[in-house]
Order: sequence, then C-alpha cells, then structure tokens
Amino acid sequence: MNLHTHLSELPDAEAAAFRTLVARLHTLPLREPSPLLASRILASVASERARNPKPETRNQKPETRNPPPWRWAAAALAAGLLVAATLFNRPDAPAAAADDPAAWLAACQEADGSWQPARHGGDPAYRPALTALAALALARDPAARFNAGVRRACNALAALQTPDGAFGGEGRVHAYNQALATYALATLAPQGASPAAALERAVACSRAAQSAEGGWDYEPDSAGNTAVTAWQVRALAAAAAQGVAQANVPLRKGLRWLRSAARDEGGVSYHPGAPGRSESLSALAAHTLMTSGKHFDGLPALGRRLAASLKAASDGADCYRDYARVMAFESAGETARAEAVRADMRLRRRTGEPDPWEPVGGALYTCAFTALAARQ
Amino acid sequence: MENVPRDRMDDAELMLRVRGQDDEAAFALLVSRHQKSLLNFFARSGVQYDSEDLVQQTFLRLYRYRQRYVATAKFTTFLFLLARQVWIDELRRRQRRERLIERLVVEPHEEFTAPADPSAGVAGDLDLARALAALPEGLRQVVELAVYQELPYAEVAAILGIPVGTVKSRMFNALAKLRALLGEERGDTP
Repeated sequence: MNLHTHLSELPDAEAAAFRTLVARLHTLPLREPSPLLASRILASVASERARNPKPETRNQKPETRNPPPWRWAAAALAAGLLVAATLFNRPDAPAAAADDPAAWLAACQEADGSWQPARHGGDPAYRPALTALAALALARDPAARFNAGVRRACNALAALQTPDGAFGGEGRVHAYNQALATYALATLAPQGASPAAALERAVACSRAAQSAEGGWDYEPDSAGNTAVTAWQVRALAAAAAQGVAQANVPLRKGLRWLRSAARDEGGVSYHPGAPGRSESLSALAAHTLMTSGKHFDGLPALGRRLAASLKAASDGADCYRDYARVMAFESAGETARAEAVRADMRLRRRTGEPDPWEPVGGALYTCAFTALAARQ
Repeated sequence: MENVPRDRMDDAELMLRVRGQDDEAAFALLVSRHQKSLLNFFARSGVQYDSEDLVQQTFLRLYRYRQRYVATAKFTTFLFLLARQVWIDELRRRQRRERLIERLVVEPHEEFTAPADPSAGVAGDLDLARALAALPEGLRQVVELAVYQELPYAEVAAILGIPVGTVKSRMFNALAKLRALLGEERGDTP
C-alpha cells in the first residue's frame, strides 16, 4: 500500500480534497545541495576508511530509542520556530543589484556596520564572514563611493571579535568566519580601515588553528581542506604584506600545503587524495598560488597550470566558483576568459537564476561575489 | 553483475558492492542519487543551517553500518532509518545545548530576531510550510516519508517502527490536520 491506494479507499470528496492538498505539498520549493557537498561526504568517508578499515558490526540493528512525548513536542515547537524564522527571512529579490551590486550592499549595511545574513536569506552564524565579503566588495568600488561604509564594517568586525582573536561560530562556521574576517581586516588595512590590534589577534588565532601539515580544517584529525586553507593563506599573505611578522611562518607552511594538494593532472579536490576534482577550489588555489605565493619559486607557475586546467564553460549558477575563476584568469593574464565569466555572472544576476549558495549566504553572498569579480 | 555499468545498477546492487568490496565508486553514486532527498528531509524537519552536515553524518553512518545492510531490505528503508536516527541525535544535541545556554544566561542575539516586515520577499507557500512545521512530529514524519519520499507504507512502517495500520491512521490525521490548519472547509461540513 502507498499513499495513492490509501486515498483511493476514502470517500470520493475526501480523497479529492486530500489529493489536492498532496499536490500542494509538492509545490513547496526544494533545496539544492551545495556543489561541494558530495565531495565533503566522500572525503569524510575516506577519512573514516583510513582511520577504521574494519566496518561496524557490533549490533545487528541500529539502535533507536524514542524520546518521551514531551521531547517530541519541544522538538516540533523548535522545528516550527526554525521554519518560521527561515520563511520570515527570505531574501529580497535584488533586481537592481545586478547592475550595481556594491550599491545594493551599501544600502543593506546595518547601523553597527555589519551585514545581517538572516535579513537576506543567509545563515546568521556567518555574520562576520558576510560582513567581511561585503566590506571587501565595497572597497573595490572604483569611484571610492563607500569608504565610510568600509571603515564602519572593519570596526564592526573588530567588535565581533572575541579576545582570543576568533570571530565566533563552531566547526565550519568558525573556520570560514575566521579566514574571511582576517582576510578582510588585512586587505583593508592599507585604507586605514582596520584596527591593527584586531588584525594581530586574528592572525594569532589563525596561526594557532593551523595543522602540523600546514593546512586548516574544521574536521578533527584532518591535515587541512583546500577551501579553508586557501582563504587562510590569502589572509596571511595580506597580513604579512602589512608587516604582521607572525604571519610569515604560517604563510609559508600554508603555501607548502597548497602546493602538495595540487595534482599532476591539474586541479585540486576538497581534501588531498579525495575522489573528484573541484572546479571552484582549483580556481581558488590557482589564484592563491599566483598571488599569495608570488614571492616563492615555482608557485606562480603551478598556479598558472591550475588556471589552464579550468573549464571554458560553466555548468549553471555558482557565484563562488565564478568569482574564483575570474580571479584565477585575471591572475594568469587571461582577461578574455575572465570577462566571459563576468558576463555570465551579470546575466545570472539579471535573470535571477537561483544560486546554490543562497541558503548559506543569501543575496549578500551572491552580490558580494559579483561585486568582487567586477572589472576595475 | 560485473558486466553491468555501475550507473545502471539499482541502489541495492550498489550497496552490496559497498558492503562486500568497499566500492568507492558505488558509494559515490549512492551519494549522488540520494543527497538531495536527504537534504530536503532534514530541511523540512526544521533544520535550516545544518542540513548538509546532517546529510554528511547520515552517509558516514551508512558507510559505518554497511555490514548491517541485507539484500532483502530496500535501500531507502535502510537509508531513512539511519537519517531518522541522525535527526533524533540532533534533537537531543540541541536540547543539551539549549539547557547549557539557559544555564549560561546568554542574552538574546540580535540576528535571531525577525525583520521589521515579515512579508517582504517571502517566496513559496508560506501558510503551507507553517502548517507542515506545526504538525506533531509523528504525523510530520509520515508525511515526509510517504508524500515527499514517496515510500510505500510498509517501508514507512519499517523506518518508524510502527504497524502499517498506524501509518494509515497517522497519514489520515496529518492530512486532516493540515487542512484544518490551512482553514480549508471539510467536504462533509455544512
């Protein structure tokens, strides 16, 4: 028996009403997995395989113990509140943002200088990371229209920082908040926008989180993953350029880790040795090696080889991947390829094509990356 | 079976390869086929931000427990049984965290408040999503598995550990309650 046969047993009027309701249930929008989900899953399984080659055989049936009814009630209430919060915080459709994403971002800045992802369809836990990206996007404005907003954003990042230099969150959230906020503070320092003490604390925190192998990750016992490591390396290179001496050693170790992650056939994956090649991370690693590693023998050439392995055409919207590709192509001097990707990004913003990263960063994320990829 | 390309194998055949030969490519195909349905399973359970982490935990658990899979069992039954366990563990973890937060008397965080205009930019069927979230968990799970995952009632019963007759009554009650929550008139009501 299934739902269809069940409904056919009911009186006609009731069955018809229920069928209409079921059809309506199917109209609720579905979430798409982020592009890196499968590779993250396979990497975690590869780690499990390496740690514990013998499978779990203790029990013949997985244990399930139903919690008492009051727990279900509490869970249902929590679920209801969470879903309501999700629906109340859906993004505005930033149609005007396609032509001037930086202006749209500036209009969304909060009174305290930060950006609130929850107001635009993103995860509130990523407030520091989204504030960092938005500030970087404003700072790229060729007419310098938003300098005051950039300064307020840097002060907001400093205010979000904890005494140990972190920017909040746990696990993955902590890793990306830390890397992106540090990168923004270091990159924006030349504009006099970043408090020096906040940058020093942020670099100290990043340094403490580096693995012995030189990478960064949010999973225990991992030597590093390419995404977090590339952002951390970019942050440390920018900090080192600002004279933050403690950034030099972890920067060299991070670059060494990135070099080891590159495959001979071109490209990188989320974790070294994991199956699958990530276009986004190959582009991000290529750009990082060419820019953050420009003073080190062999790294710019390796970055150019990675850039050469990137695809000519893109498969659907992905602001993160497209931003990384633009940066990689620009760094490699392939301006025509960079411009082609930019044109795709602008078109997707204009047509409102859904981006797989929207559940994470909302409209702030897509607009920030579109602005960051814009030609200067 | 060796001559059949993996992408033409059904889920059970792939899982048997994972169980017997630790076949990485077969596991990758299972991830590819089921990651979206699991993601939406957790998202509709009310998990907004950690859904992908829960999908990852489910597949990790699938790998760890691969020896428990038997050829007579439907793969989706096994997978959603694991997903339900991951969800139960997540609820327990949240309750522990809420108790901890209560003890620490943390002030409410600004970003968790609703925006001034809650109707701005809302997409989709808001009333329906709210009604679905307001269902008791036991009813919502039946809707999730039988409507969204389109599983036969026997599979739903196996996953939830209840008789098929209870699945039927829960489904009827869930649909009736949804109609009531949505303010629809019952056909037999004057």
